[in-house]
Amino acid sequence: MPGFRDLLPLEAEILREAQESLLAEMRRWGYRHVITPLVENMDVLDLGLGIEQRRLPLRLCYAGPVLSTDEGRFQHRRETYQVGAELIGASGPVADAEVIALAARCMEATGIRRYQLDVGHAEFFHGIMDAVRLPDDVKSSVRAALAARDFVTLESLLEDTPLKSAEHELLLRFPALRGGPEILQAAGGLVRNRRSEAALAELARVRELLVAHGIGDVVNLDLGAIRDFDYYTGVIFEGYGPDFGRPVAQGGRYDGLLARFGRPAPATGFMIQLDLVSEMLTRAPRALALPRLDAALAWTGSGLTTALRLGSTLRLFGMRAVVDTQSRSQAEAHAWWRAVAAANLVHCLTESMVSWSAKGRRTRRLPPEQVAARLAGGLK
Amino acid sequence: MTPEDQVSIAVPTGVLLDGALALLAKSGLARLSAEELGRQLLIDGGALRVILVRPTDVPAYVDHGAADLGIVGKDILWETPGSHYELIDLRFGGCRLVLAVPDASGFNGPQTWPPMMRVATKYPRTAVTWFEARGQAVEVVRLHGSVELAPQVGLVDGIIDLTATGRTLRDNRLRIIAVLGSSTARLIANQASLKTRTAAVQSAVSRLREASGHAS
Repeated sequence: MPGFRDLLPLEAEILREAQESLLAEMRRWGYRHVITPLVENMDVLDLGLGIEQRRLPLRLCYAGPVLSTDEGRFQHRRETYQVGAELIGASGPVADAEVIALAARCMEATGIRRYQLDVGHAEFFHGIMDAVRLPDDVKSSVRAALAARDFVTLESLLEDTPLKSAEHELLLRFPALRGGPEILQAAGGLVRNRRSEAALAELARVRELLVAHGIGDVVNLDLGAIRDFDYYTGVIFEGYGPDFGRPVAQGGRYDGLLARFGRPAPATGFMIQLDLVSEMLTRAPRALALPRLDAALAWTGSGLTTALRLGSTLRLFGMRAVVDTQSRSQAEAHAWWRAVAAANLVHCLTESMVSWSAKGRRTRRLPPEQVAARLAGGLK
Repeated sequence: MTPEDQVSIAVPTGVLLDGALALLAKSGLARLSAEELGRQLLIDGGALRVILVRPTDVPAYVDHGAADLGIVGKDILWETPGSHYELIDLRFGGCRLVLAVPDASGFNGPQTWPPMMRVATKYPRTAVTWFEARGQAVEVVRLHGSVELAPQVGLVDGIIDLTATGRTLRDNRLRIIAVLGSSTARLIANQASLKTRTAAVQSAVSRLREASGHAS
């Protein structure tokens, strides 16, 4: 079916490992894992928040597939994987900075070598749109052009209006409004409205806190970030990995959303596009290999019960062991061993005797308990 | 993909190629001949990598980040909207997307159109959107070349096609009854390139902006 696909063992392993690293990092920051159903009635969401609301702020994280009803989105992928974290019931720069720092540590935890976070503010944009002197119909065209990232149309819309203001200039320079802390001063010299000024002050504070979190060197300020401004109400951010045409992480403050479900609460959070992360890791110069099987357990005759018992024991010690499905001679067992590419071959001959082979070592006959003890103890 | 300080740009084959190369030369970014580029398709010139692709493929290269920038006709962008930034009107390659019918046809303004209009075009998305906005039912026949031929053999009532001078239309005894839009070459940019390699990409953008006659 178009837009849906299988993830084969290597990809699945990389994706799952990245997902586990992300959830582990989130749990280290005190975020509780929740499992959300793929399909949910809106009322249930409301109810669930009601029960938990006594203990705000709430820190939650989740991982799972996301389905799209739109065939065109997600570059034709209709099933994507996301891992996300939400901090509900806390407002202000400290909460904003916590979530951004968590996003940074999460990108690090997946193994992406170089990454950066662009931090902006939805209120900066709202303030400009309030202040810019334009007729209402032109204003809505300006919003549409910005949403489409169409600066050619934007420029012609603004050129045709007689009243020029500093906000005009800011809108035209939108994609270039990014950089270090100096950008806040540059923008501060241009805006003349309270909302944008307050946003700049808040961004300055968030940046200081991110430096304190130890991630100052991966943070850029981006006043020209174009996002869904009906959804986001405050500090917003995007995470980029190296050489990837799209953002890997996206998030920000959405104080208006929960009120729509009847439980007003400030909230901020982000999601990481797990597919993109795993794609990035799969293509890394030194691609990760599938973890090796520790033991291939072959058997012949009454050796089957030995093989099954030995398999259970090795797995108890955290090893990966596979038991053959059919009886084999020694030569056949060696061929099967090479095919499954395990570190050790244990050919179970009887209930009390096995033949143990490992790469570069001679084959030895031992009782199964001794082999189990040596493998589990890492002995050779 | 492109190294840190190198900027890659996708330029289109076809009618915009000469204008694109002239602009690159004028901006001082690269001096290339169409023959040279046509032979190699990809030229690494130090600070700039130039990739030659089909016009309709430019947005794909840019949206996926295989090229930081792209030069592409607005007509292509109507047909394939994407996640790129459309930054500059480069002010060359001007043409119009028009609805044309045979000289002998009785169709003129919307009031003369049939309940279901049949048109042939290489721009099905743009055509459908345009007719829908006017409440006109339309059946679009997607063709890949020689669109002018379709009404003459009775395949469709009219065509929606690009015209610069109108000459091809006249030669095929077609007349324009509506203009859907005007197109020129545009500079588009990958969304991540603007964020992750800002300095190099923005500097190339400014030079192209100046070379295309905009105030800097």
